[in-house]
Amino acid sequence: MPHQCTSCGRTFPDGSKEMLSGCPDCGGNKFQFKPAGATADADSGGAADSGNEAPGSAAGPSGSAADQSDRTPPTPAEGSAPVANDESEPTPDERAADRRPADSADPTPSDAAASPDSATDGTEQIADRSDEDTAQASARSEVVSPDELDRASRDVDPAETPPAEEEPQPGIDALRDELNDQFESIRIVSPGQYELNLMELYDRQEYIISLQEDGRYVIEMPDAWGIGEE
Amino acid sequence: MGLLTNLRDSISRVTDGLFAADEPKRIGIYGPPNAGKTTLANRIARDWTGDAVGPESHIPHETRRARRKENVEIERNGRTVTIDIVDTPGVTTKVDYKEFLDHDMEKDDAVRRSREATEGVAEAMHWLREDVDGVIYVLDSTTDPFTQVNTMLIGIIESQDLPALILANKTDLPGSDVQQIANAFPQHETIPLSALEGDNMDEVYTKIAEYFG
Ligand SMILES: Nc1nc2c(ncn2[C@@H]2O[C@H](COP(=O)(O)OP(=O)(O)OP(=O)(O)O)[C@@H](O)[C@H]2O)c(=O)[nH]1
Ligand SMILES: [Mg+2]
Repeated sequence: MPHQCTSCGRTFPDGSKEMLSGCPDCGGNKFQFKPAGATADADSGGAADSGNEAPGSAAGPSGSAADQSDRTPPTPAEGSAPVANDESEPTPDERAADRRPADSADPTPSDAAASPDSATDGTEQIADRSDEDTAQASARSEVVSPDELDRASRDVDPAETPPAEEEPQPGIDALRDELNDQFESIRIVSPGQYELNLMELYDRQEYIISLQEDGRYVIEMPDAWGIGEE
Repeated sequence: MGLLTNLRDSISRVTDGLFAADEPKRIGIYGPPNAGKTTLANRIARDWTGDAVGPESHIPHETRRARRKENVEIERNGRTVTIDIVDTPGVTTKVDYKEFLDHDMEKDDAVRRSREATEGVAEAMHWLREDVDGVIYVLDSTTDPFTQVNTMLIGIIESQDLPALILANKTDLPGSDVQQIANAFPQHETIPLSALEGDNMDEVYTKIAEYFG
């Protein structure tokens, strides 16, 4: 689950389409890249599956303020994908399915002439999503017990992300390799040295807005999701 | 144009006639680092609006965020063509902070510049995907145009069917070889100029009006 929403902590597997239209849980549009190696079971066989169900979200308090009081505080940025490994969580598949409409809004180059229709669509989706957020958030708070949350966070704590150091260390190198495998648009050769795969960058829908030397990215999705401000 | 990416912009411009047919085309100024993109953008903006777009520098990757100048009205043959110009960060496949150390930069600054430059390339590629209606591709005519970056970008531009002008910049320098650029991209028109000296800007404006008007 290499990507994590910076506002609610929900995690997403690399290449996840869901995050392309903003975080389904809180609507956030900033994600940081979390190398899988940073968490305990990430390289176990089930990693992909566990990433998929992002009930990381279940542990990560939702961005919507309403239900935050009875949960663990948001995992700070450096915190590691809260619960992505807990397979017992409610599967988000239904949730994912609910969000599908977002996919239909994927801008493609062929949309060249942005039509008024499509603009309207985008706006509606934003509205839809916030409705769902509330619903989803409360649904989650009913299923996830504090115990589970607790257990979940303990699972990952020991695997805290390695410190960002300039001296290459085995850990950092491994992390970097992992990052490079998963996110092939930018290869971090060493701090301050990058190789870019232009085609891959071009194909990606999201912006990469921030690179960090410890193998993380902060990624921003297309602007439209910030439109609520207006 | 990516509708999501443009939505916010579009809405803020709604009163100027959103989606009107005559909305200015957004022209991206692309090319490798140090080709003179910002110098050209500044010249165009100064000639027609009086403002500048951003800082120019002999140190590569000076531009690390795309910058836009809107509603640049260019007059050609009694006709006015309005475009938005976007000066983008130089595109490259490799960024190495060591390159900046030669320019008297501290290591920390060099590493940061290199990180920002990498982010800038990502941004430039993103704009190319969704946000430009045409491209001015700027090359330094004293350097070899047969590079992976040029081939790839021109390829993408062609695959998107974007109108594109290729500018062979820095013709004021002794090593300038415009023909080599024309040979490298025979399917496009190559226009020589010196953005720094302002040489041949008339032809550049005529072509801009013709291609993007
Ligand atoms: N001799 C000469 N120098 C030029 C010309 N155009 C630009 N330069 C110089 O080339 C250097 C780079 O110019 P910029 O305009 O900053 O180049 P850029 O393409 O924007 O570079 P990045 O932002 O780093 O990608 C500067 O020192 C400019 O003064 C030109 O026509 N002739
Ligand atoms: Mg520049």
